[in-house]
Amino acid sequence: MSFRAVALRAVAFEAPAISNAVLIARAAGVAALGLALAGCGSTTASSSNLGTGTSTTTPAPVNNVQPIIVDSGPAALPAEDANVDVAFTTVTICVPGTSTCQSIDHVAVDTGSTGLRILGSVLTLNLTRATASTGAPLANCVQYADNTFQWGPVAAADIKLAGEVASSVPIQIAGAPGFTAAPVACSAGGTEVDDLVDLGANGLLGVGLFRQDCGSACTSAATNPGVYFSCGPFGCTATTATLAQQLQNPVWMFAQDNNGLIIDLPAIAATGQLTVSGSMIFGIGTQSNNGLGAAKAQASDDLGNLTTTYNGTAYNQSFIDSGSNGLFFLTATATLPDCGSQAPGFYCPATVVSLTAINSGPNPSGSGAQVSQNVAFSVANALVLFNTPNYAFNDLAAENPGAFDWGLPFFFGRPVFIGIESQVSAAGVGPYWAY
Amino acid sequence: MRTAMLVLPMLFAIAAPSRAALGDAEASVGADEQRFLPTETKVSDHGPYRLHEMTRGDGSVIREYVNGAGQVFGVSWKGPVLPDLSQLLGTHFAAFHNNARQKAGRRRIAVVHSGDLVVESAGRPRAFFGRAYLNSMLPAGVTEETVQ
Repeated sequence: MSFRAVALRAVAFEAPAISNAVLIARAAGVAALGLALAGCGSTTASSSNLGTGTSTTTPAPVNNVQPIIVDSGPAALPAEDANVDVAFTTVTICVPGTSTCQSIDHVAVDTGSTGLRILGSVLTLNLTRATASTGAPLANCVQYADNTFQWGPVAAADIKLAGEVASSVPIQIAGAPGFTAAPVACSAGGTEVDDLVDLGANGLLGVGLFRQDCGSACTSAATNPGVYFSCGPFGCTATTATLAQQLQNPVWMFAQDNNGLIIDLPAIAATGQLTVSGSMIFGIGTQSNNGLGAAKAQASDDLGNLTTTYNGTAYNQSFIDSGSNGLFFLTATATLPDCGSQAPGFYCPATVVSLTAINSGPNPSGSGAQVSQNVAFSVANALVLFNTPNYAFNDLAAENPGAFDWGLPFFFGRPVFIGIESQVSAAGVGPYWAY
Repeated sequence: MRTAMLVLPMLFAIAAPSRAALGDAEASVGADEQRFLPTETKVSDHGPYRLHEMTRGDGSVIREYVNGAGQVFGVSWKGPVLPDLSQLLGTHFAAFHNNARQKAGRRRIAVVHSGDLVVESAGRPRAFFGRAYLNSMLPAGVTEETVQ
């Protein structure tokens, strides 16, 4: 998650100067590549063993399709606080090794972060909390670019998605009642988003490019950025955390289908859609339903970035992020004017604007060859979109001068493969994107 | 009463500065260093401006740009976590925070234009970057492109 945003029709916007009629309907912002579900032949077969990381035993296939939905969010969320362009799923968590479980609906699916974060206010399970090397409670922090953050103790849970299980995974209890407040090193002066209204979700499922939220940097004091904290009687101080102690992308911990995942959302119209149902499919080339097909794979850099080139300028800190609820790029121009006071920072062109950018990154197969592909996308008038009853838009966009942040609109009509770091598939070794 | 009058100024003396940066005097960069705890600091002259660069062991970098009048006209950050923006933006943090938090339209934004102030915050966990500058303090011949 990078930016979170956006308003709904429930907010009393004045009628925009531009009517819906001016919006020229066009097919979904991008050409659907289509999942090659069948006939992957030898490619799929040969990659299935690679996916599990073992060469001898292949577990019996399990259901690897987890439903996702773009809608107004948790039932308890007041309509005026609902966000648009957020994909949700239902996560089942259990006390490790037991059948004492809780299903939590409307957890936001975020390919821009790593690990499961459940609001303390919705958690009913009694989970054992982790301790830092100091013996004090271990807390985790995640920050977002809009200067918001989530904070809370780390606890272990089994995570169940579709037929897949990740056992005894460290998760964050975000905003755990009664827990020590976040230190400045976490808040960075910003705003905590650990209640339903602020988050607009019951939790966040980080299923991005990395295995852990922090990785090796947090294992050494010399390189520790301060993501984990030891919370003693005198407050919380940054502490190191081993890889195993850190929040995990649950997908890489599955017994199978663990080399990555696919976010698969159908194409929608330029005026948006009330709700959209899709799938999160686990594994890449491990079953008959998750082959790469015609998708082209592009490795990210060590930070998870790719290069987006637009109008001859390369933005090498760009990324694909289902947790960003818009396309965030460039600054306002005559073609892409700012919406003004009703939605500052968002784009409000008079008619839908069609644009093309080029995404590029090295081939994850190790050949080193640069893989580039055109990305066609469009930008509609944000105020017009906000005045529809819809929650899903493929053409909602806002300012972000330094990079392209390909948020959820990018995903509609384009299955997106996320290859997890160090995990192997037919495309090569993660981290990579394929679409 | 008399005691209180004596104590009060001392409290001020303790509580006061340590906050600094954007729009403040160059000396305020030192306060940022105390908070950021860099493993390496560099100062370099670039004609119309002077650049203070602080690097931390986690790879985080903070840059502060000082004009000929000795004012910090721009700051930038890059790293796996966000720096304390309330420290770095100083008195201008409120304008960023209030705009980023505005509820009209139920949205948060990370790009704020507020009068003289521009703040651009981007990225995600492991890879944040951003900058802030004051248009009125840019040295002659220096554009906002310098603040990177």
